Amino acid sequence: MRTRLVIAFIVVALLSAIASSWFHTLIASYHLSAWLDDVILGPGWLQSLVHTDPGQPAPHPVRHTALVFFGVEAGLLLAMITTAAIAASRRVLQPVRRLAHAATRMSGGDLSVRIQPRGRDELAQLVTSFNGMASALEDKVGELEQMEARARQFAGDVSHELRTPLTAMTAVTDILYEHPGLAGDAATAARLVHHEVLHLNRLVEDLIEISRFDAGTAQLATDDTDVATVVGRCLRARGWTDVSADVPAGLTVRLDRRRFDIILANLVGNALRHGALPVTVTAGLHSDGHGGTRLTVDVHDHGDGLPPAAIPHLFDRFYKADTARARSEGSGLGLAIAWENARLHGGHIDAGNHSGGGAIFTVSLPVNGYLPISGTELQAEPARL
Amino acid sequence: MATVLLVEDDPAARQGLELALRRLGYMVRAAETGEAALRDFRDAAADVVVLDVMLPGLDGFEVCRRLRRDSDIPVIMLTARDDDLDIVGGLEAGADDYVVKPVEPRVLDARIRAVLRRTARADSPAETYGELMIDRGSLIVRRAGQDVSLPPTELRLLLVLSGSPRQVFSREQLLSLVWEHDYLGDSRLVDACVQRLRAKIETDTSEPRYIQTVRGFGYRFGPV
Repeated sequence: MRTRLVIAFIVVALLSAIASSWFHTLIASYHLSAWLDDVILGPGWLQSLVHTDPGQPAPHPVRHTALVFFGVEAGLLLAMITTAAIAASRRVLQPVRRLAHAATRMSGGDLSVRIQPRGRDELAQLVTSFNGMASALEDKVGELEQMEARARQFAGDVSHELRTPLTAMTAVTDILYEHPGLAGDAATAARLVHHEVLHLNRLVEDLIEISRFDAGTAQLATDDTDVATVVGRCLRARGWTDVSADVPAGLTVRLDRRRFDIILANLVGNALRHGALPVTVTAGLHSDGHGGTRLTVDVHDHGDGLPPAAIPHLFDRFYKADTARARSEGSGLGLAIAWENARLHGGHIDAGNHSGGGAIFTVSLPVNGYLPISGTELQAEPARL
Repeated sequence: MATVLLVEDDPAARQGLELALRRLGYMVRAAETGEAALRDFRDAAADVVVLDVMLPGLDGFEVCRRLRRDSDIPVIMLTARDDDLDIVGGLEAGADDYVVKPVEPRVLDARIRAVLRRTARADSPAETYGELMIDRGSLIVRRAGQDVSLPPTELRLLLVLSGSPRQVFSREQLLSLVWEHDYLGDSRLVDACVQRLRAKIETDTSEPRYIQTVRGFGYRFGPV
């Protein structure tokens, strides 16, 4: 590359020198006005190098022609120098630009990009190093992805295997538990086993549910659903009579009822367990600003609110914000599963603290535009908290 | 005192479920494989079959299909719910209902009782709709004079729908009325059952006369 630049400069310099001396020779035979003479012909010692007849005024036409030649020469020189400079720089910049473009594509996720090195100069070496680095990165990332897939498969397989012994245990624990002849330690032991078997069932079921999301086999089974009904039934089925629901009547949305129930049950359960009463569930339709409609469901409690440090991690698997708290009845996967269920619908869940105190979780699900949505006015914007 | 034919290959699960069912008041005949179950079924009268999907040799679906060839006995599948294919496969094979393993005894009990209730008889005269004759008293269904054999769930579905002709029932309502599942039940149960019922009573399943689909709402009987 250095050679290219050097050659370019030499060529330009030579061309300039040749052009200049040609021009000087051409007009040296005429005496032009004094100042122009000095400019064009240069100092006296330079003039003596060339055959001249100083003292003779140049005729007008000659003077004009000389000026024209001067202009043309200057213009040509400028053109030549610029062209040579651009050509040289392009030769240098083009591989650099290709390298930059390739790097951008790589950082965008395309690890397969490679560049063809040309020549053997420093730039070509840089290109070769780049290709080597891209290859190594691609291999490494591939390896990591495989490891992750295997780990998830393993978690799923383990859960399936656990189900077999659990089937037998689940079928019989209540026989032990309800046995009238047991007393004292034996009765306590039976009760413990009974509860732990049921807890284990829940955990295994949650693990299997999560592994279905990971494997991409989770499917949506949608049905036209009256939101007030499904919210009401969710609360009643779990005996949460002190949770208030504010859902407009006649709000019908196409969603997966079972999954929606899971999301709501998890959020309300958390609100009751980790927050405090009163807990309210509010639902409504909002436009999403892009011509679509979304169903938003808010679960708001009046507890101490979420510790800010916990908020970005809430939906992580097995995350427990308050590690000092006694272990919960749940599996630690509840929020992660709720989040995945929302995502499967094409929606999401946001968590934060309400300005009026307590935590607020907002589920936002897109609503299919072509279905008739009955009985509710669209609000322009979701309520700002 | 109903008799359950339990088909489960895992010994511990079989023993546990058998024990639980006995304590719930059922008589139990346990079979380890599909082949044994089919043999057993021919020899002894069972009132309901509880059938595991994952069996060595003949799988649960095949056992169900073969049972259905000669009988309308209620069949409840025991699925692992690994895959929704389990459930759909079972329904298409002719199962009346399914429970997910591990299952708590009271849940299994509720399902068995619900499915046995479907064969309860009513006291009313036979009704005729076009070529279809439905006798609620004797639970006989005839199409163009030929007896149509229907397992309890399909029968109950037909009875519920034809009990209120032209009334539209949503899947949710049918799940509750026919299967006695709560509102979170799987509506595929309804769709699969409708398909099986249509295959037996409709002349042209692509243009059903008796069990009609009302898009966006559910199903209705007629108008014929």
